[in-house]
This record gives sequence, structure tokens and C-alpha cells, in this order.
Amino acid sequence: MTDLVDKSKPARFVPGQPDMWAFVLFETLVFTAYFGFYLFYRARSPELFLHSQAQLDLRIGVFNTLVLLLSSWSVARCVQSSRAGAYRAALRDVFITAAFAAVFLLLKVFEWARLVRMGNGLDSNDFFTYYFFLTGIHFVHLLIGFVVLGVVVYQLRSPARREQELQENIETCATYWHTVDFLWVLIFALLYVVR
Amino acid sequence: MIDIKFNKRLLVVWLVLASLTLAYLWIDHSLAGTPRASAVITSSVIVIALVKVRIIFREFMEVRQAPALLCRLTDAWVVLMAVALLGCYFIGRTA
Repeated sequence: MTDLVDKSKPARFVPGQPDMWAFVLFETLVFTAYFGFYLFYRARSPELFLHSQAQLDLRIGVFNTLVLLLSSWSVARCVQSSRAGAYRAALRDVFITAAFAAVFLLLKVFEWARLVRMGNGLDSNDFFTYYFFLTGIHFVHLLIGFVVLGVVVYQLRSPARREQELQENIETCATYWHTVDFLWVLIFALLYVVR
Repeated sequence: MIDIKFNKRLLVVWLVLASLTLAYLWIDHSLAGTPRASAVITSSVIVIALVKVRIIFREFMEVRQAPALLCRLTDAWVVLMAVALLGCYFIGRTA
């Protein structure tokens, strides 16, 4: 009788390895500190920040956010497909995720080039120091994300996969990807929209 | 080949997140191009962003199905971020 499972209440589980969650929470704290400094200095010199912020194109920011949210949705589907044993569908979702991420990266480079052409750089003023630092560090996280997606592809293609381990690794990778996504959600709001 | 059913819940989650993102365009439009510092706008924008973060935690990152400890921990983190971000902003305004 002990192996009776209540079907109405699915078993609760930690998605992926707990170590990744420790990393996510730590990384979030580090970024919260960056954001805190940014908002403090922004509130102290609102005119400078407003004037510099006006040079950003909100539409590019919105589009990039939607693209990254699409990539997160795709990774979430990948986790579910792999859990159901639909490895080909999971593999397809990983490639869709990578395609959205590539669009994000290309647009970001385009935006940087546009701002630099307008005469802005890392040392132009406080706003652009934060802008290039935060978007740059996020860019690096996204590049690491490509390596993470590579791990997922490798795992899904490996003929010797052990299902339990495979699923845990994919969930761990997905957790990293979503973290990069929600950090962008915050960076976008703070750099492009706050007043 | 195993085929799985299309998950409508994830689509709805994305639509909600996309709508909250597009709400920023509406906020920006309502300011009619006059760059002026506003604590109300800043607070609203931060709260909307944190609501999005919580949705990503709960739905995309599957915290909804995780043990209570992880649910509480991620919720605590969202509250911590809210306090830190709004706190730094308002301290900066009065400094």
C-alpha cells in the first residue's frame, strides 16, 4: 500500500540541482546590489540620467524583452518535452531557444553600435557607465547560456543517457536560462523605463 | 516518436509577461515625451518588473511545483529586491 500515489497531488520536486538554485539566489543578490547603486545615483542626479536615457530606443528594449521571454518559454517547453520522453521535440525547442537568443544578441550589438556612433561610451557619464556595464555583464551571461544550451543538446543526443540524470541536468540548464531572462527583465525596466 | 500535448498554460504565461512588457510602452506614451523624474512611475515600473520576475519563478522555473521551502525562498527574494530597489531609490532622492 505504501506505493499508492495520490494522482490529484503531483509530487513536489526541486527543478534541477539545488546547487544551481544557490547560484541563482546569489547571482540575484549581486545584481540587486548593482541595481541599488544605480537607483541611488539616479535619484541623486535625475536630470543627467533622464537626458542620457532619452537616447535609448524603448522599442528596441521592448522587442528584445519579448524575444528573450520567447526563448524562456521555449526552454520551459523543452523541459516538459524531455520529461515526457519526447526528446526530438525537446531538441527542437533548444534550437528555437538558441535562435531567439541570437536575435537578442544581434540586436544588442546593433544598439551598442548605434549608441557609440552617437558619441556615448562607458566613460561618457554615470548613466552610460551603468548602461554598458549592466548590458555587458548580461551579454556575458547570455553567451554562457549558449554553452549551457550546448550541454542540453549533448545530453539529449547522448545515446547512453540515464533518464533521471538527463532530466535533472536539463532542468538545471533551464533554471540558468530563466535566470538570465529575469535579470534582463529587471535591467530593461531600470535602464529604459524608470523615470 | 513521442508527441506531447501543447501546453496552453505556458502560452498564457508568456502572453501575461508580454502584456506587462507592452504596458511599459503605454506608460512611456502617457508621459508624452516629457522627460521628468517621477517617483510614482519609477515605483510602478519596479513593481511590474518584480511581478514579472515572480511569474517567471513560479511558472517557467516550476517553483509552483517545488517544495514549500523553495517557494518561500524565491518569494522572500522578490520582496528583498523590492525593498532594496525602492529603498535605494527613495534614500537617493532624500540624500
